Amino acid sequence: MEPLSWFEILARIAQQLLPVWVALVLTYALSIRFKRRLGLYGKLFDSTVGMIGFGIVMFWLFVALFANFVVTHDSLSQVSGMRNAVPGSALRDPRDLYPYYLLGGDSLARDVFSRMVMGAREVLRIAPFAAMISFMIGITLGLPAGYFAGKLDTGLTFLANLVLAFPVILLFFLLVAPEIQETPIPRVMAGILFLVPILFVTVLLNARFFTQPAKRNLYVGIVLAVGAWAYLGLVFNADPVGLWSMSPNLLNVFVAVVFVNAPTVFRIVRGITLDIKTRDYVAAAQTRGEGPWYIMLWEILPNARGPLIVDFCLRIGYTTILLGTLGFFGLGVSPESPDWGSTINAGRRLLTVYPHPALVPALSLMSLVLGLNLLADGLREESLRD
Amino acid sequence: MLLFLFRRIGLMLVTALCLTFIVFALTNMPAKLETLAKTQAGSRMTDAEVDRWLERNGYASPMLVRYGEWLGVLPGWVRTDDGGTVTGRCVALRDTPEAAGERCGILQGDWGFSTRFRAGVAEVLSARLGATGLLMMWVLIVMVPMALIVGILAGMREGSRTDRALSTVAIASTATPEYVSGVLLIALLASSTVGLSPLLVSWGWIDGPVLFQGNARSALEDITLSNFTLPVLTIALYGMGYVARITRASMTEVMTQQYIRTARLKGVSFGKIVVKHALRNALIAPFTVIMLQIPWLLNGVVISEVLFSYPGFGWTLYEAAVNNDIELLLASSVVAVVVVLVTQLISDVGYVYLNPRIRIS
Amino acid sequence: MKDFSQEAVDRVHPAADVYARDYRAGKLSRREFLTRATALGLAAPAAYGLIGLAAPSVAQAQTPTMGGTLKMQMAIKAQRDPRTWDWSELANACRGWLEYLVDYQRDGTLLPVLLEGWEASDDAKTYTLRVRPGVKWNNGDDFTAADVAHNFERWCDGSVEGNSMATRMGSLVENNMVREGGIEIVDDLTVRINLSQPDIALMVSVADYPAAVMHPSFTGDDPVANPIGTGPYLPVSYEPGIGAVVERNADHTWWNEGNGAYLDRIEFIDLGTDPAAWVASAESGEIDLNYQAQGDIIDIFDAIGMPRTEAVTAATIAVRFNQENEPYDNKDVRKALQLAVSNAIVLELGYNDLGTVAENHHVCPIHPEYAELAPLTVDGAAARAAIEAAGLGDYEFELISIDEPWQAETCDAVAAQIRDAGINIKRTILPGATFWNDWTKYPFSATEWNMRPLGVQILNLAYRTGVPWNEAAFSNEEFDTLLDQANGIADADARREVMHRLEEIMQEEGVLIQPYWRSIFRNARPNVHGAEMHPTFVVDYVKYWLS
Repeated sequence: MEPLSWFEILARIAQQLLPVWVALVLTYALSIRFKRRLGLYGKLFDSTVGMIGFGIVMFWLFVALFANFVVTHDSLSQVSGMRNAVPGSALRDPRDLYPYYLLGGDSLARDVFSRMVMGAREVLRIAPFAAMISFMIGITLGLPAGYFAGKLDTGLTFLANLVLAFPVILLFFLLVAPEIQETPIPRVMAGILFLVPILFVTVLLNARFFTQPAKRNLYVGIVLAVGAWAYLGLVFNADPVGLWSMSPNLLNVFVAVVFVNAPTVFRIVRGITLDIKTRDYVAAAQTRGEGPWYIMLWEILPNARGPLIVDFCLRIGYTTILLGTLGFFGLGVSPESPDWGSTINAGRRLLTVYPHPALVPALSLMSLVLGLNLLADGLREESLRD
Repeated sequence: MLLFLFRRIGLMLVTALCLTFIVFALTNMPAKLETLAKTQAGSRMTDAEVDRWLERNGYASPMLVRYGEWLGVLPGWVRTDDGGTVTGRCVALRDTPEAAGERCGILQGDWGFSTRFRAGVAEVLSARLGATGLLMMWVLIVMVPMALIVGILAGMREGSRTDRALSTVAIASTATPEYVSGVLLIALLASSTVGLSPLLVSWGWIDGPVLFQGNARSALEDITLSNFTLPVLTIALYGMGYVARITRASMTEVMTQQYIRTARLKGVSFGKIVVKHALRNALIAPFTVIMLQIPWLLNGVVISEVLFSYPGFGWTLYEAAVNNDIELLLASSVVAVVVVLVTQLISDVGYVYLNPRIRIS
Repeated sequence: MKDFSQEAVDRVHPAADVYARDYRAGKLSRREFLTRATALGLAAPAAYGLIGLAAPSVAQAQTPTMGGTLKMQMAIKAQRDPRTWDWSELANACRGWLEYLVDYQRDGTLLPVLLEGWEASDDAKTYTLRVRPGVKWNNGDDFTAADVAHNFERWCDGSVEGNSMATRMGSLVENNMVREGGIEIVDDLTVRINLSQPDIALMVSVADYPAAVMHPSFTGDDPVANPIGTGPYLPVSYEPGIGAVVERNADHTWWNEGNGAYLDRIEFIDLGTDPAAWVASAESGEIDLNYQAQGDIIDIFDAIGMPRTEAVTAATIAVRFNQENEPYDNKDVRKALQLAVSNAIVLELGYNDLGTVAENHHVCPIHPEYAELAPLTVDGAAARAAIEAAGLGDYEFELISIDEPWQAETCDAVAAQIRDAGINIKRTILPGATFWNDWTKYPFSATEWNMRPLGVQILNLAYRTGVPWNEAAFSNEEFDTLLDQANGIADADARREVMHRLEEIMQEEGVLIQPYWRSIFRNARPNVHGAEMHPTFVVDYVKYWLS
């Protein structure tokens, strides 16, 4: 069969992405229709930059979600004769497979397009989750540090600065080495790091429903049960049902990324808390006799959400870049993983003759981070407008 | 002021001590030591041979003791073999058998021995830091003016078309990490088969096969436009966007200030307002950010130096980490901590200097 | 004594005659014949003569020109005692001043260097080495039989960690040192080696890269810091990870004046392990040749005006199971995984078809005792069925490899085939520094094996019960007994019969997936001469020249 022209390639890719287009159109139609009722999210649709950024991010999110329908081939299977095939090459013997490699083949004869799509899933599975855990840790430690100040603040700030004084790459090399995986270090760190979110949610609910013991017990009980279940699976890989699990490799990467991110979040939260705690409504709550945790979590935190949401978007982007850095140094997740950092690194070797295996994930990574940055910009503009 | 400096330096020392201890602990785990032994004395050694090697080279004593030796608070290890030859940490470092039993750690100015490069750590690091110094100098020379110009132009008239265009450029540059931009730049400018170079060759515009070199090793001897452009650009591009955005934010804020409005109402020309009134105040924030950016650029330095095989500090850090070169890694982390904390200090002091409203208490 | 050596020169070793017959009968390749005949002490021209060929003339089509500086990409690693060298690069950098007793040539012959010649006894237990007269160390000392004996003692010292020569010296070593009466200094220029077991591989072993001949004053640290040797060059600088520079030694009269040492200066540039950096460097004209290129990189170098040279070898990759680990203690599982993998496809996808397909028994067709077995079958469905029958339908296998690209890609291709058969498998790639920590213990991993001239050599080294490098933890009584038997058979035909069964056992027991024999490549600019790829990666820059 003849190789496809660029126009045909684009048309076929667009066709493969059909579920993504449908979901995007639906999201936009619904959001714009009801944007007045949707708070900050709705306001996003008043800003062009924000809408573009949101569009790009949602595009990748839907690609990741519908990856199974979008891919043309298995992201790991190798087809004889397709090594470094140029985009649009036809399979030698398609049988029941999709007859073309839309964006060509990589140096191991795997489909670049399918790997890019599965790579989106890989990246979007780790980055937002890691950013979220970093945020919970940063908030849980940053709020009391800023609110109580004193020795606690000095100690925590020192620790945060200690981690921040480490060059990130050195930390990665020390923490993501195979020798470390065999020691209890990543497990212990994960044990501590994953405990914080559970603690955070428990305290959050406890502070809120302190006066309604029945409700509190129910909510806290549910959180603790689900938390313990997830905790068992993620930290000890001992989830009886098998829903929560993380390979030691992935856990190691995850812990390292969270460890690097959390101190920065801590510093931001601490700074904002220092600022907000002098406001009148905090003083009012104090005179009302509210407990310190209630004030922190239900008075200060909601008022700090603007800058935090913005930073959250940026941090997902930064985490994506960090994961790529890990892949670049061969420290990443599993070696055949289609995540973009590893594929860029693998494709780099033959870059000067076969640019497509490296360019496709490189442009994907760029566009996702760009989208997150634009989204953050849009959110910042709109939240400042309040 | 003096007290402030003292306190900061004290904090710096404590931080460095903690950090080196962490690095020491992580690099001295049994599995890591085994790796070291195998890279030093033969990759296919048996376990018994590994133990013997560790014993003979002073790695068998407890970790805390060896950390003390490295610091110089404990005397270095000494070993006398059957033939009566004395070996030991200080014997090797000072090259005389009399040194056995002395202390020889960083407190005495002995930075130790690099197992990867087979040379003194101080010697290796000073040469590599020099190379990185040159790289950083060029990065800053390229990055800072570019970032400031982009930021000021964008921030002068908020919301204008220039602003939108330049802001997008700035965002795109922060969204392109070094390992992506480096790869793109090599494909575009330094390949004789794809990108611009074949075109330029066919037009007869360049003599060599490529426009720029995709490898900066030769820059060690002689820095040229051809071998240094790509590594410098790779680092500068990523850092540029961030500084530009801070400058823009700072500039837009200044431009809404009362005294600028007053000046405009007085009929001072727009160009004059920007240069005479807005700039100094708008540059305070970028200055602190640029200072804080320097340690952050270290990441980029490692990636770029490895990508272009330019043996500077980042490349050394990478090699030391990959080969578990303990003493070199420790010295590198000391350097990194000092860089981070010194730039923080400069940024604080500079902030005060530039902004007369703030005084350090 | 004179009579003895004179008689020995005139006499052709009986086994060499047998080899010549094998060659004529087509049982032995020319390369194999030459290696084995010269190992028994025959000079290369005589060996060629024995099979009715004229020795290729040493003089090249062009006369070498003197002078010039050569720039070569090669890893420069931290130096150490030569007998503990584990990378050919370590030896290659030093070849300008450290020479060998004999050299293994590209065509498979052994060329006497610091020896003038040698003879093996009929039972291959006694070797008589004749030292080349007139050789001087570059510090002015004479090179004598005592120096040769000293080096053999160094090689036999098993108490030095990582001394791989001790394993190569075989029965010359007893209790970690030279056996009683193992080395005799007959006169100033004659040394006799007395082995307790026959060893047809002794001379091949002393041509191996860790067998650099050292001056008696060498204490075992760094051969670059104190470069006393017999060769015509001297190191100028040596920086691990960066590069090394070697220049011709003006103050030393080299014994082989005129037949080498053409270049004034050789610069080795260490560009790391990333081939993209080598290409970038070549494109900007900073290197004249690379050390070794793999896969697509070879084509890229071809395209930028650095044509390839090839060396066919018996080097390979062993994707082996460790039988002490579950589930690989089950023979059915091992055989099922073998059944799922088509070695030809692994060769295509993992190594660009730059080699020949192998048959999972680690004996190469270029080995003299190779016996041909029935072709292997591939059957994914049967493999899946066998795995399910073993109760491992949901089990996830794990294949570990080092991070070197061709090995990682080969293992990726193996894993992809196993996955295609419907068996769960994941891949793990470890960095070079960590991989070797446990290379003999991983349950399922791949190891690179370099070429050994004889088939039994590798089986002795890697598959005999309890030997240190037995990474498969393979233990089979019949195999061991037959291997002992094979070691004592000098005749390749007779040995082939035993070997046939040994190969069968290897296949029956499902010891390893051994997909291919690799060819190795080097790319150089057309004006670089004498630098063709060598089957054991030798970079003998003494012989290189530029036009």
